[in-house]
Amino acid sequence: MAVERDDIITPASVSNEYSPGVKGFLEGVRSLVTGLGITARISTEKPVTICYPAEKWSVSPRWRGALRLRGVLGRDEIPLIRDASELYNSVIEDLYKAERLPPCVGNCPANVDARGQGFLIAEDRIPEAYELVRDRNILPGVLGRICHHPCESACRRNYYDEPVAIRPLHRFAYEEFQKVAAERLKPLPVTQDKSVAVVGSGPSGLTAAYDLMKHGYRVVMYEREERPGGALGSGVPAYRLPRDILYKEIDGLVALGIELHCGVEIGKSMPLAALQREHAAVLLAVGLQESRILPIPGHDAEGVAGALEFLWAANNKGETGVRGKKVFVIGGGNVAVDVARCALRTGATEVRLASLESTEELPAHPWEIEEALDEGVIATCSVGPEEVLTQDGHVTGMRVRECLSVFDETGRFSPKFGTGLSDFECDVVVFSIGQAAKLDTLIAGTELLVSGRGQLVVDGTHFTTSVDGVFACGEVVTGPGSAIGSIATGHEVATSMIRYLQGNSLTDNRTPRPVPVYSKYAVADVTGVERSRLRSVMPMSRPEDRAKDFRPVELGLTHQEAMIEAARCLRCQSEICVGCTFCARTCPDYAIQVERVDEPGGRCLTRYDLDLTKCAFCGLCAEQCPTNALTHTGQYELSFFHRDLMVFDKGEMLRSGEGTRATGRDGITPPRCSAPKRREL
Amino acid sequence: MTLLWGFLWGVAGMTVIAVGAILGVWWERKVAARIQMRYGPQQIGPFGSLQMIADVPKLLFKEDIIPDSADKPIFKYAPLFVFGPIAVSMVVIPFSAGWAPLNTSVGVLFFLAVPSIEVIAILLSAWASHNTLSTLGGIRATAQMISYEVPRSLAVLAIVLLAGSLRPLDVVDAWRWWWLPLTFIAFLIYFIASIAEMNRGPFDIPEAESELVAGYFADYSGMRWASFMMAEYGGMISASLFGAALFLGAGWPFTGALGVVALIVKTIALMTIVMWVKWTLPRLRQDHLMSFCWKVLTPLALVQLVIVGVVLPWL
Repeated sequence: MAVERDDIITPASVSNEYSPGVKGFLEGVRSLVTGLGITARISTEKPVTICYPAEKWSVSPRWRGALRLRGVLGRDEIPLIRDASELYNSVIEDLYKAERLPPCVGNCPANVDARGQGFLIAEDRIPEAYELVRDRNILPGVLGRICHHPCESACRRNYYDEPVAIRPLHRFAYEEFQKVAAERLKPLPVTQDKSVAVVGSGPSGLTAAYDLMKHGYRVVMYEREERPGGALGSGVPAYRLPRDILYKEIDGLVALGIELHCGVEIGKSMPLAALQREHAAVLLAVGLQESRILPIPGHDAEGVAGALEFLWAANNKGETGVRGKKVFVIGGGNVAVDVARCALRTGATEVRLASLESTEELPAHPWEIEEALDEGVIATCSVGPEEVLTQDGHVTGMRVRECLSVFDETGRFSPKFGTGLSDFECDVVVFSIGQAAKLDTLIAGTELLVSGRGQLVVDGTHFTTSVDGVFACGEVVTGPGSAIGSIATGHEVATSMIRYLQGNSLTDNRTPRPVPVYSKYAVADVTGVERSRLRSVMPMSRPEDRAKDFRPVELGLTHQEAMIEAARCLRCQSEICVGCTFCARTCPDYAIQVERVDEPGGRCLTRYDLDLTKCAFCGLCAEQCPTNALTHTGQYELSFFHRDLMVFDKGEMLRSGEGTRATGRDGITPPRCSAPKRREL
Repeated sequence: MTLLWGFLWGVAGMTVIAVGAILGVWWERKVAARIQMRYGPQQIGPFGSLQMIADVPKLLFKEDIIPDSADKPIFKYAPLFVFGPIAVSMVVIPFSAGWAPLNTSVGVLFFLAVPSIEVIAILLSAWASHNTLSTLGGIRATAQMISYEVPRSLAVLAIVLLAGSLRPLDVVDAWRWWWLPLTFIAFLIYFIASIAEMNRGPFDIPEAESELVAGYFADYSGMRWASFMMAEYGGMISASLFGAALFLGAGWPFTGALGVVALIVKTIALMTIVMWVKWTLPRLRQDHLMSFCWKVLTPLALVQLVIVGVVLPWL
């Protein structure tokens, strides 16, 4: 059998192909003259090496090493990414262009500085860490429990072992901050004479309010419910987010100066036009209040519910009326999983989750599905709802049709159904197929435009509505999404509003939110990886216990676990060596030795030795350096007076790569490590 | 009596070559360094010019290694026969107007023929090393040196034809400045073929350290190795001297002592160009080398000969 081979390409230097006759001869002569010209020109230039004896007395004939460190743990501080919201986008963009943006920050919709958080927690400056995170993520304590953490999927640590537990660290920072909250939460000064009204106290509204308050505006916030929090209070299951945590964290924001009025429904208790008159700008952050229900036969029978109403009842009353009943949940998203788990907790005997998508395509997060299955939820995938079976106006079962595929070739939603039908017995059917906004009472009597599909007409980049001075953000603009995504829109709308209030153009010199793209990591092989290097395991309640009531599932990290976890952060792209030892582990010649101490407050790289007698200049170490601290100098020619000098220590490694020769060891002392400050944990 | 004088002048030639090689190595290191943006030797003596004074004792004191399997008598004495003919060829160089150490009527032939004995010595030393790489280097050297004899001799023949004599002194006497443009092709061919004769870059295929270690002298060390190096520099000096005398008009435009100085300056310039070429061009491949000799240089030399032959009746 013939073996297929690539064409062998002969390099020009060994090829016999040259132009024939005189032409080739002249080409040869021309290249000879060119070459001789180059060497002649170079020989008239000033040599780049040292001219003896003039420079001999001050400089020894040592070449620089092939590698150097740009910065080092213990000497250099991690730069915190922190700026006013209207400048933040350009800061992120600049860092991204300079390849200095950590992937966790780039992958977060709100660009929370998770690297800075890790640095501050490891340095035992935990309240500072909380405040750093709060600048971009308005409710770290809440998001630290419920966020879908895109930061962790982008974490460089995925490549080596397991990602840093960034979300649990938010929660830990919040818990530590509560100890000093009383002294650190002071009302922000009101310096501007204009005021702003915010309708809705969900994450996006709170974000915009905080950004505006930082600029000195008075912010008045209205909430329809008795308690603030929006979808966080009504929709997120209480076993994931205990309500006292939510209310306490929002109280902290109220302490910063938000004037919060609960139980006021704009459009009913007070017209929107009144707010427009009273305030310089109005922000609508009302979210989505209505569940969508498919108009299939039997959808109006007793026992059919929408997801939002079901979750509201479960979270706020602790009772959904499903005790002893069989529950059928339609939908495969995170809300559907929440509904299923809440149904279990309110006493359902059997909970079945039916999704259109196949097992692999489920839009819910895999960890959510895993936890739900642990608790006893039954998943039926690749089926579409056909008919709600009823008897005397009561639900008795659900008929579903098999679904062959959900998306067409171009990736659009276009389900194809088969002929197979199956019936499931159940007493309650919950539709969890999406949510819609309910705006009619809110906008009654104003000039706000609503599109044909019942949605507010909003510019998706600047978050302006059809009426001057009225803005909108959050899920009412973006549709159902994540909490952190809503928060990101809150920052954007705050930028627009500040420009509007100051009378500036909304578009001039404005950097759109950068959307860096990071490739997905394959699951790293952690066999043989030391236990101390792996991610701290989040303690969980036992599935059989937690499925019965609304106790928190995740129990939180201890102080010590959190400190260790924060020290695991590689401080990506900071250009400061953290002593992660991955260069030493990568080196095929074992030429690198790295040691560090991890005491809080005294974290320091104690040793970084590069043995140039072993180094083969392969560059694998610099290639994989997560912080970009280790770089090539371009100096690969080395000569030394004696062999001892061939081992570069920390001080040598830190020397600038400028110039061609360096001064031997003379005058170079490595930066010293300060003694770790002992602290009772 | 002539033989004795010849012998004495041979010794003098050896001395000139030894001293010349010392200076030549220093100069080559300087040239190479500047081409590579370095300073070169600079610690010993002014501009490092005494560097070779330090290097010669080093070579003298080095261990003289003779491989067990080598053919010992030939291995030991072959370097002498590499170096000797080069030194001997120096005696026919017309150093100043009307004076050469050995004024013979077949001087040009002598200069072209005697150094060719070196080929045999190189082949012997390569064979005697009993080493595959050395043997390969020796065979390459033989093929190359014998081939390049042809265009080199043809190029010199053009000058001889113009002068009507094989006596170098007669050639220098007959030389006129317009010979330079007329025989420029011959001069280039002589120059290129001489570089190949010395086994210097880009024609250092027999030594080719990246493939043959050091070719025919891979097994030599110490002073024996140094005699190969001296032969290389000696070849450079004698070929440059001869070229300057025959093609560039020896002392022209000066006469007397100034003429000798002019000859030496021309020689140094030619040697510098040889070094410049070596440090600029990469090494040729063996088949390219041969086809260049037979398909380009030899026909060109014949063309030059025809040109001279056509012009000759009108002179």
